[in-house]
Amino acid sequence: MILLESHNTIIKNVLTERFVKPSKIDVQFVDYDNVRFHLSTPTSKTVLVLSMGIHCWSDLKKYGAPEILEREFGEWVSNDPNLKEQDYDVTLVLDLEKIPEEGDDRDALIDHFSMLKPIILSAPFHRAYNEHSQLASKHKSTFQPGMADQAPEERGELMIIHYREEEAIYVQAANDRVTIVISTLFTDETDRVFGKVFLQEFVDARRRSSAIGTAPQVMYTTRDPPLEVRNAPGIAGVKRSEDVGWITFVLFPRHFATPEIASDTTFKLELFRDYLHYHIKASKTYMHSRMRARVASFQQILNRAKPEVIQDERKTATGRTFRSR
Amino acid sequence: MDPTSRPAVVIDNGTGYTKMGFAGNVEPCFITPTAVAVNESFSDQTRATAKGNWLAQHSAGVMADLDFLIGEEALARSRSSSTYSLSYPIRNGQVDNWDTMEKFWQQCIFNYLRCDPEDHYFLLTESPLTPPETREYTGEIMFETFNVPGLYIAVQPVLALAAGYTTTKCEMTGVVVDVGDGATHIVPVADGYVIGNSISSIPLTGKDVTQFIQQLMKERGEHIPPEESFDVARRAKEMYCYTCSDIVKEFNKHDREPSKYIKRLTGIKPKTGAPYTCDIGYERFLGPEIFFHPEIYNNDFTTPLQDVIDKCIQSSPIDTRRALYKNIVLSGGSTMFKDFHRRLQRDLKKIVDVRVRASNARLGGDAKAQPVEVNVVSHPIQRYAVWFGGSVLASTAEFYEACHTKAEYEEYGASICRSNPVFKGMY
Ligand SMILES: Nc1ncnc2c1ncn2[C@@H]1O[C@H](COP(=O)(O)OP(=O)(O)OP(=O)(O)O)[C@@H](O)[C@H]1O
Ligand SMILES: [Mg+2]
Repeated sequence: MILLESHNTIIKNVLTERFVKPSKIDVQFVDYDNVRFHLSTPTSKTVLVLSMGIHCWSDLKKYGAPEILEREFGEWVSNDPNLKEQDYDVTLVLDLEKIPEEGDDRDALIDHFSMLKPIILSAPFHRAYNEHSQLASKHKSTFQPGMADQAPEERGELMIIHYREEEAIYVQAANDRVTIVISTLFTDETDRVFGKVFLQEFVDARRRSSAIGTAPQVMYTTRDPPLEVRNAPGIAGVKRSEDVGWITFVLFPRHFATPEIASDTTFKLELFRDYLHYHIKASKTYMHSRMRARVASFQQILNRAKPEVIQDERKTATGRTFRSR
Repeated sequence: MDPTSRPAVVIDNGTGYTKMGFAGNVEPCFITPTAVAVNESFSDQTRATAKGNWLAQHSAGVMADLDFLIGEEALARSRSSSTYSLSYPIRNGQVDNWDTMEKFWQQCIFNYLRCDPEDHYFLLTESPLTPPETREYTGEIMFETFNVPGLYIAVQPVLALAAGYTTTKCEMTGVVVDVGDGATHIVPVADGYVIGNSISSIPLTGKDVTQFIQQLMKERGEHIPPEESFDVARRAKEMYCYTCSDIVKEFNKHDREPSKYIKRLTGIKPKTGAPYTCDIGYERFLGPEIFFHPEIYNNDFTTPLQDVIDKCIQSSPIDTRRALYKNIVLSGGSTMFKDFHRRLQRDLKKIVDVRVRASNARLGGDAKAQPVEVNVVSHPIQRYAVWFGGSVLASTAEFYEACHTKAEYEEYGASICRSNPVFKGMY
């Protein structure tokens, strides 16, 4: 599998199973980037409570996550304060009586629930896409034909989502593009080297192949934050060392032209950091298997090189032979 | 957030099935076959024409080293497509193919459990009698490839014992009878420490039961497509097999009321798509019987399970024997047969009683040996008892201290993984 899937397999499996055969359950599990889930049946077998704790909830709240939650999961959001769990940010209550009959509708709903995290995390991205269209029309209206210079560039709010302790996603709209900057931290020396090669390849591949020429532009730097975020609040406190990588994606309107394309782009960007770290680990796995194959082939050569033990017949003084066993 | 504040990942890799999930839960999140389907078509060419191969892969839209599947998906894919070949990384409880094992872990972590391995401590299991080199190698992969912050490699039976700890009240002394898919071990444990030289393993496992059933069905002339027959036998075993108390009586029962005892399985032939059915009769109780009467299966190994357990306890230190008889814990999928524990307890009790009577007779009337309590413990989570034990232990605070950390690994090397201390949470 080259890409990581966006949906959460555990939610999908559990719901598929429990919707058919309700029974008691209480599981806690996680997802990428400090997301915690708790799926339980606290009151009755037919009422499943799905709670999600997400590290950057305080950031997301500012950028429209509650509205997205209401729009996408409105009828499932719990109003009951008894069911709302303290340590979690979002609580959905799935009453089995309200679930559609077995079939495509139900499958679609299960898929929707298993996308809870990516949907919530997409809030700032969608906000940026909207802001872009506003800025674009504003820009167009200020631009008068016959004016000597182009109208000055319009920029929207710089949104910062601290999705991990020392790593963040920066999203900013402008009149002609949306810029996403993802910072990532390599805790391991080897990973850093792999990451660098991998990301450089990412940048170069676009130039080399025309097939992916329409993909968003990617830039990669280490240590110092790219220009776009150099003035971001709190950026002075961010660690500056070779371990920090900055990946900049420049999205043009075609990358979020329709809601489908926009969602697709967003879900991929959300997981980019994990995708990167996944591939670094996969490359190491690949190197190890090549190394093992090489060792095995060297061993074969060594085995062939073993001198043969020459067995000559030995005789005693009386002429009898003896064999050593 | 510090990794110790997140739940640890617990993975129990078995020959047949891998159980994985997060510490603190009662059930593993996934129970999936330990199988990997690898696409051979690209990896074979790698050596021949490296450059051309890259282009070929590129145009086909695949990366050869990532073109593989694990678990159920692997089984399904290898059935439907001939370009994938199936590999089972674990054989008889020991890792056999490190390449596919590493790939298997990679998928478990990234696509099933969906977590960054750098964020979580890991608890892995190994079967008893695993050489320390294997443990080192496992540690190397975990620390080097996945950069896990901490790792603990536990011995499966010790975990199974820990699992019993919460469901029934008992201490960390007992005999674990672990009958899995590819290995059967009888392991006495005293205060959390495995009594190494008393471990016995026998060559009868879940796979043998399946093979025996397959053979019986073939001899009886059931019409099952040959490529499906192993799978059918396995399904029959898992669904319908049970342990009887007396074979002769059981044969009679079946003969008297065949309609009540004969079960039927249906399937679809993979090639033609035509449905077929087959009957399951005597196999239902003969399958599990191989543990108690191994001679019906093969002639090479004929010591019944209860004798092996008895011998194993008798070879343990004398002061632990009573405690061991009192706490015989079952674990592994192949102990799931109905009434398995009753039968084992009865047969074992018989052996013990004979010995007590003999010693009483020898001693004469004055000194009477105290009767020995024999107790075979069975609990509902037997199938993944090892995993559950791991989940319980990994959710204690002591676990994090007992783990080997990445810093230690970098300081001292892989040899630190050789020993994994018993820790306090185990009591
Ligand atoms: N309900 C059941 N009744 C009988 N056998 C079962 C049942 N469920 C599973 N099994 C069998 O149990 C075996 C799997 O057990 P388990 O998962 O404990 O093995 P494992 O851990 O993969 O192997 P090992 O411990 O030997 O390495 C398989 O052979 C399977 O067919
Ligand atoms: Mg096992």
